[in-house]
Amino acid sequence: MERLPAFELKRPTSLAQAIEWLAATPEARAIAGGTDLVPNLRDGIGAPPVLVDLSRVPGFDAYEIRTAGARIGAGVTLARLASDAGVAAALPAVSAAAASIAGPGHRSVATVGGNLCVDTRCVYYNQSEWWRKSNGYCLKHLGDTCHVAPTGTRCHAAYQGDLAPALIACGASVELAGPRGTRTIALEDLYRDDGLAHLALEPGELVVAVAVPAQPRGAMSAYRKARARGAIDFPLAGVAVRLAVDDGRIAAIDVALTGTNSRPFRLAGTAAWVGRAVDDGLLAELGKAVQKQVSPMRTTVTQSNWRRQVASVEAQRLVRDLAKVAS
Amino acid sequence: MNPEAKRLPPAKSVGVRQPLVDGVEKVTGAARYTADLAPRGALVGAILRSPVAHARIRGVDTSRARAMPGVRAVVTGEDCAIPYGVIPIAQNEFPLARDRVRYCGEPLAAVAADDAATAQAALAAIELDLEPLPAYFDAKSARAEGAVQLHEGKPGNLERAVEQTFGDVDGGFAKADLVREHAFHYAEVNHAMMEPNAAVAHWDAERGRLTLHSVTQVPYYVHLALARCLQLDESAIRVVKPFVGGGFGHRTETLNFEVIAGLLARAAGGTVRLELSREETFLTHRGRPETDVRMKIGLTKTGAITAIEAEVVQRGGAYAGYGLVTILYAGALLHAIYRVPASRYHGFRVYSNTPPNGAMRGHGSVDVRHAFETMLDTMAGELGLDPFAVRRANLIDAPHRTINDLQVNSCGLGECLDIVERRSGWRERRGKLPRGRGLGMACSHYVSGSAKPVHWTGEPHAVINLKLDFDGGITVLTGASDIGQGSSTLISQAVAEVLRLPMSRLTVFANDSVVTPKDNGSYSSRVSFMVGNAAIRAADEMKRVLVAAAARRLEVSPDDVEWNGEHCRVAGTDRELGYRDVVTEALRDAGTITVKGTWSTPPETQGGSFRGAAVGTSAGFSYAAEVVEVEVDEDTGMVRVVQVWVAHDCGRAINPLAVEGQVQGSVWMGMGQALCEETQYLDGLHVRANLLDYRMPTIVESPPIDTSIVEAPDPNGPFGAKEAGEGSLSAFLPALTNAIADAIGLRLDELPASPDRVLEAIVARRRAERVRRTAKAAAQEAD
Amino acid sequence: MAKRVLSFVVNGRLREEAVGDSTLLLDLLREQLGLTGTKRGCDGGECGACTVIVDGRPQLSCLTLAARCDGAHVETVEALAAGGRMSALQAAFHEKLGTQCGFCTPGMIMAAEALLRGNPAPDEATIREALGGNLCRCTGYVKIIEAVQAAAAAGGGR
Repeated sequence: MERLPAFELKRPTSLAQAIEWLAATPEARAIAGGTDLVPNLRDGIGAPPVLVDLSRVPGFDAYEIRTAGARIGAGVTLARLASDAGVAAALPAVSAAAASIAGPGHRSVATVGGNLCVDTRCVYYNQSEWWRKSNGYCLKHLGDTCHVAPTGTRCHAAYQGDLAPALIACGASVELAGPRGTRTIALEDLYRDDGLAHLALEPGELVVAVAVPAQPRGAMSAYRKARARGAIDFPLAGVAVRLAVDDGRIAAIDVALTGTNSRPFRLAGTAAWVGRAVDDGLLAELGKAVQKQVSPMRTTVTQSNWRRQVASVEAQRLVRDLAKVAS
Repeated sequence: MNPEAKRLPPAKSVGVRQPLVDGVEKVTGAARYTADLAPRGALVGAILRSPVAHARIRGVDTSRARAMPGVRAVVTGEDCAIPYGVIPIAQNEFPLARDRVRYCGEPLAAVAADDAATAQAALAAIELDLEPLPAYFDAKSARAEGAVQLHEGKPGNLERAVEQTFGDVDGGFAKADLVREHAFHYAEVNHAMMEPNAAVAHWDAERGRLTLHSVTQVPYYVHLALARCLQLDESAIRVVKPFVGGGFGHRTETLNFEVIAGLLARAAGGTVRLELSREETFLTHRGRPETDVRMKIGLTKTGAITAIEAEVVQRGGAYAGYGLVTILYAGALLHAIYRVPASRYHGFRVYSNTPPNGAMRGHGSVDVRHAFETMLDTMAGELGLDPFAVRRANLIDAPHRTINDLQVNSCGLGECLDIVERRSGWRERRGKLPRGRGLGMACSHYVSGSAKPVHWTGEPHAVINLKLDFDGGITVLTGASDIGQGSSTLISQAVAEVLRLPMSRLTVFANDSVVTPKDNGSYSSRVSFMVGNAAIRAADEMKRVLVAAAARRLEVSPDDVEWNGEHCRVAGTDRELGYRDVVTEALRDAGTITVKGTWSTPPETQGGSFRGAAVGTSAGFSYAAEVVEVEVDEDTGMVRVVQVWVAHDCGRAINPLAVEGQVQGSVWMGMGQALCEETQYLDGLHVRANLLDYRMPTIVESPPIDTSIVEAPDPNGPFGAKEAGEGSLSAFLPALTNAIADAIGLRLDELPASPDRVLEAIVARRRAERVRRTAKAAAQEAD
Repeated sequence: MAKRVLSFVVNGRLREEAVGDSTLLLDLLREQLGLTGTKRGCDGGECGACTVIVDGRPQLSCLTLAARCDGAHVETVEALAAGGRMSALQAAFHEKLGTQCGFCTPGMIMAAEALLRGNPAPDEATIREALGGNLCRCTGYVKIIEAVQAAAAAGGGR
């Protein structure tokens, strides 16, 4: 039974070799856990001639958690991240996000880097080859129309990774390595609001690690995802919040969202709330800001308006709950 | 040591919590399902499916595919001109479409190749010339004036219209103190059994014989369809049902891939394995149709039903299948749960350009039961009655003949009500829970097999053979399809109980058409009741033979033999004989002994004489009552089921362990339909044909199910038993929505109660309240 | 298709197998090694029926490239019964009716086995979490939870 298109599996034992092989074949894809890539390949989405396996790259799965901050290798599995007491203590949002992803059989192999780079999703895209062909394909793959918004010019597939908002809220940056060297950028800058090309990676470039700075004194973080079932599902909307409260007033607040747009993003305008108490008025403003900045489209079988409402509700709840713990 | 010296007491098998006789194979991975059986080197089959929902077929050009190396057979609609279908009067489906395709995903051609890659390449090389026709994805547009007919002779795309009136309906409503009418809408759902569809077909070219292994619940019907479509003598076909990974009704009729596998094997002259993807399994469908129900009920002040009227419209999909049975069930099973003095039913089964619907657990009864029980709940509130009181006001006293001629010979619903009321703490807790928490209840019922079979042959409804040989082992030969419900275990228990032998003396051999007796299959919860009865009779016959042998050996009359299984004795004496000695005596001269037991439904249970009267008839009805506790998040619309209490009247629990399993599975499947499961089509393309978007509940959010067994023995049932695998499904749906109403005062008239639907309803209610308040304030100002 | 010789331990037995780079572990087990206890229930990563244990971790064989299992220890449901006798976990699934049709059972048991090895006395919430990726259509999960609890009480998976 051949369920996958034929490809050559390369198993590099150094980062340089991995980058070289990726750069050598423009269509090559990197594979870490494979829990996102393999289902897509099974659906006939892409037929890369080469897969570059990152599992043997030394140090890819290293990580350190220190008071000065954390460095999490891209190859660290979600299971390991979710079960680490240090992460749970220092970065509870990240821990909760990791634990909420898919099922144990996925998390045992799925990686931090893979989850950050998870492909965008859409009901018109995550279908079999027969289905997509019958529907005339779509802008994201082989077609020229986005069926979600046929009059537009962009692809609206949604980003539905869980880790990114948690890490963005905690101020993470990512270390990238590619043919032109290494660079570090803020995690939110890894993403573009374009379902077709949502990752700002250069050809042959890889996410090598995530760096999380020391969290501000008294800061707490949390993550909640809205989904229809208690496991397996991608977030229909996901919210992460990091909040520091000093003497009843907000000292710092960061909110990041996933599942609603083609990229995970940091909620804009939160700085204006610093110095204010977490009260009904503030929560209402927060709720409105979320409603305004998310733009869920008909990319899931659940109504987009629900995703908007629930993103707003969950953001308010998180801030309220964290403020309560702080007091 | 002589084992008989141990003086085993007579074995007791009925009422024992018996693990499955084939359970060891299942937990060790030794159980072989259809996809596990393909021999090395078998050809790989694959199906080309229609990309459009409705079209005239102008051409299917397979020449390029046929020319490809490694392609061993290509078949199209040209290869089978004979339609099949489970209902003899409604056979309008071809294994591969001819002239027209009527839904996205309908098979158009199939190939058998050396490997899967070649098979896929061959499919890609087939050229289709299709002329699109207008397509209809809901019942309303299919019925609209001017709509193109999917099938000739079916104006308005009506597969079947049913009009049934019993008693004085208008008089009943006139007598009522409260009459209410309401409309409901139900999304389509699918069985989604865990095992995807698969078949292995072997064509013996020298002898012209076909062997098919398939995932079916109805090997006999598959046998008939293969003979019909392949124009083979029935004796040239062998159908084997190996382990099957669930069915829930999906597999209660012959499915296109089974015939296609046969066509491919014959065309290729070899063995073909045809394994469908999960998506293809969804497209094969046969699920519960999208349904609109308009229900009208009249009640007296004390809650007694005076009359009911129901209109049911089902979007039935592209082919007949079980359709006419489903629409008849929806009307028939308005009855036999409560006393109903008058009823009117209008049923419309509509063809549409969606995958064909069929039978699914609780066949035909589920959506109407939701509408019925929801309205009882609402009306109870209006009358100031407790929901339990309304049900009790209408309980059936068995024996009872309904106005539509269903014969109820036992009914334990009253006891079911008492149990769930008590165990859920209903009286203490109902109305006292915080906002957002609620309790709801409802009842349901189901048949224990249709009293009239789909396929009338005049043969008994069930046959069991028992074979006793030199080793003292008894082989139970049955055609009943165990698909996980435990029928093989139950049949063994019945035989062991009668013979008072330990189960270890028995081996069940099932579902190989060259060995086992014909059986109509596992559907409509017929097996426990019908095959159970046949098993008792077969065992009675075997016991008669053994007792006669013992009597010969002991030189007494058979009447003087006290039969105790592993040993017997002359009554009132201590003259004993061990089982093995009895067997030796029985086989002397006679050799291997084979006996048979048969059973048919009593004529008085076979229903009335009006058109459609056969559907809904049963020799025994099961009953269930449920209480559901929910927590509703009014900001997100998320509904969490906290706990379920269920009591199910199965007459007699032959295997209480399996009864619990069946009841829990039914309740949970009802929960899936009520909360989160639905199919969905975009221009006819199924967008949820996978296990991410077809959201069957995971273990994380699945509630505890407190399960009680009620035993109101049925005079016709084996040891008094009735069905246990379907009757408690339907009650869950209304119990859930009644609980939501209790929690937040919101009545949902559309299912599933997915969070987006619930939130939308909450927002709509808030908006309506705002409008009302504004209007009221304006009116006050005007005063 | 590119092939390579894969050397790995399956159910305690060292094996060398020629596999294609794009062959899935599921198909290697079922088609090449005849270990059909591991089931295919979906089109990729959605149902858990194919769960096996790789180097001690539960893993979906339908998403695993066989070629990446070089040097790995792979365990399937066939490995659990020792000398033909059911493991405590298997016996509990059998006796408590944690299995009906049996199709999800191998994956369910392997997921539970992975849990019990790391946590011999899990509470109910932990059991639910560990089996969250394994769908069952027959049982409503009630007796599956009872089975895992019974196995834990009887001394875990071993």
